[in-house]
Amino acid sequence: MKETVIDAHNLSKIYDEKTIPVYALNNVHLHIQRGEFTAIKGPSGSGKTTLLNMIGGLDNPSGGFVEINDTNITALKGNRLIDFRLNNIGFVFQSYNLIPVLTAKENIEFIMLLQNRPKEEREKRVAELLKQIGMEDKVDKRPVELSGGQQQRVAVARALAPKPQFILADEPTANLDSIAAENLLDVMLKLNKEENITFVFSTHDQRVINRARRVITLEDGKIVADTAPTKIEHLLYEK
Amino acid sequence: MSVLTKIARRNIWRSKKRSLIIMIAVSIGLWAGIFMIAFYNGMIEQRINSAITSELSHIQLHHAMFRKEYEIKYELPEGKKMLEMISNDPDIKASAGRIIIKGMIASASGSNGITINGVMPKEEHLLTKLPDKIIEGKYFDNHQTNEILISKKISKKLKINLNKKAIVTFQDKEGNLASIAFRVCGIYKTINGPYDDANVFVKINAIDSLAGIPNSLNEIAILLQSNSTLDNNQKKLQQNFPNIEIKNWKEIAPELGLTVSVGNQMAYILMGIILLALAFGIINTMMMSVLERTWEIGMLLALGMNKFKIFVMIVLETIFLILIGCPLGLLLALTTIVVTNHRGIDFSKYTEVYSSFGYKSVIYPSLTMGQFGIIMLLVVFTALFSAIFPAIRALKINPAESLKK
Repeated sequence: MKETVIDAHNLSKIYDEKTIPVYALNNVHLHIQRGEFTAIKGPSGSGKTTLLNMIGGLDNPSGGFVEINDTNITALKGNRLIDFRLNNIGFVFQSYNLIPVLTAKENIEFIMLLQNRPKEEREKRVAELLKQIGMEDKVDKRPVELSGGQQQRVAVARALAPKPQFILADEPTANLDSIAAENLLDVMLKLNKEENITFVFSTHDQRVINRARRVITLEDGKIVADTAPTKIEHLLYEK
Repeated sequence: MSVLTKIARRNIWRSKKRSLIIMIAVSIGLWAGIFMIAFYNGMIEQRINSAITSELSHIQLHHAMFRKEYEIKYELPEGKKMLEMISNDPDIKASAGRIIIKGMIASASGSNGITINGVMPKEEHLLTKLPDKIIEGKYFDNHQTNEILISKKISKKLKINLNKKAIVTFQDKEGNLASIAFRVCGIYKTINGPYDDANVFVKINAIDSLAGIPNSLNEIAILLQSNSTLDNNQKKLQQNFPNIEIKNWKEIAPELGLTVSVGNQMAYILMGIILLALAFGIINTMMMSVLERTWEIGMLLALGMNKFKIFVMIVLETIFLILIGCPLGLLLALTTIVVTNHRGIDFSKYTEVYSSFGYKSVIYPSLTMGQFGIIMLLVVFTALFSAIFPAIRALKINPAESLKK
């Protein structure tokens, strides 16, 4: 039996409610199971980032609610919500993902430090992830000394380090060239398979869409399609 | 906590130029503030030392009514015996008896209201080092009686030169007018202009009989070995001479005590103004730093760094910024104080101005440990005060909004 990790019920986000209401999200229902590799696509302004922000507890919906493993995160406020994010959700942003004054190793370790995990556990996990993302030789490099692709791989490793319930990635390949984007996707797919981590992306990038197990299409704040890519597309793009 | 310290410490050097400007501003501000307090201290200390050693001494003994009416009839009939007893006390460095009379000095050119100080030459020498202040002529001669020491100011005003005669007029014990002609044996000058305007010195035995109080005294002045024994010695004297008014220098010249407390307050207020100006500079810099990093702080909040930790991180960053500037400022200030305390700062060009307020024209800045401690507390308070506003601003950042940018 599959386990539901993300359960979004009737999610709406309305801007300028009192004047001319603009629906960023309009009555969205979404259920994501553990281990899914899901892409949310759609044109600019379709509500992809808004949906991700709601799922991640970064923004409050105007209507509806989000449950993560049966916890209604829409009802959580302040530091309780921040602590929930810390212990359950991993984030990968589009760019400038890392803390500029920390090294690659320190960035990966950062969330575990906030969680007060023991030093041995942190070091073991960081070493494991550095190996998985193929960056053992860049341990002491600061973000400014890394390429965009390397920075995103460190960001994925940081998100994965505390073994969260799922990872939300907002257009993670948007600023990467095709090789770096492919490398990043390889790393994420590998981690998805090996650690059964749930990934949810928002993306415009056809390469990401093609390699996703499930593709959700948003238009004008509504889900207009929710499909898996064809077997032929998988065979073409998945390595 | 260590990760917050690490981030805060490294964040300082992200904008090197901006951080250096703040550190230099803190250093200069601290240097200026501390040095100003030390300079003020030096001035006050000199004024007090000068007042004690040249004018007031530590303790004075009078008839209970004398200081209220300044009449010669309020004498200390047993004054000389008392003086003998007092001078044997090991806590007492020097003591002397005086006759103090309000009167007038006149020359062919005019007259001036004065205080006539009838002094014991030998004892007065030890007590106030009066001979050291003579700039023309000499101190009292053992064999001459009617000699007078006048100040340079009176000499100029009344056009009385050395060896010339001056007529001193006063009321005796019975209220009759008495006049004596004195020959000017010396002209003195102290650092206190107003004092010079109003004081002349004659030998006590040249005036006591005419004043109607032969072998008596109006005043006994005592210089202690140390100011720290002031209260004890005052109490001891009061026990020995219960009917005599015994006052210490702060009671005799309350304006001096006031100078000390007002001086301290002024110095701390000025230090506070300097630190407040610095605080606003630091707040401005840190606000800029926080606003430039809205995205980054939003990301930290999104990742799960709670608001308390964000607050602590910004506070630490501000405190580090200030504390790095502190050692340089302190070093500069202490070096300047040590050097100037040794050499003095010469304001000879403005001698007249300083003298009119009773100050020397060479100032020796100094700083007490207590003042140093208070300054450090003020700096810590400034650091915390400057840190709070940027940290509160950082807490208002909304992660979803900031990540859109």
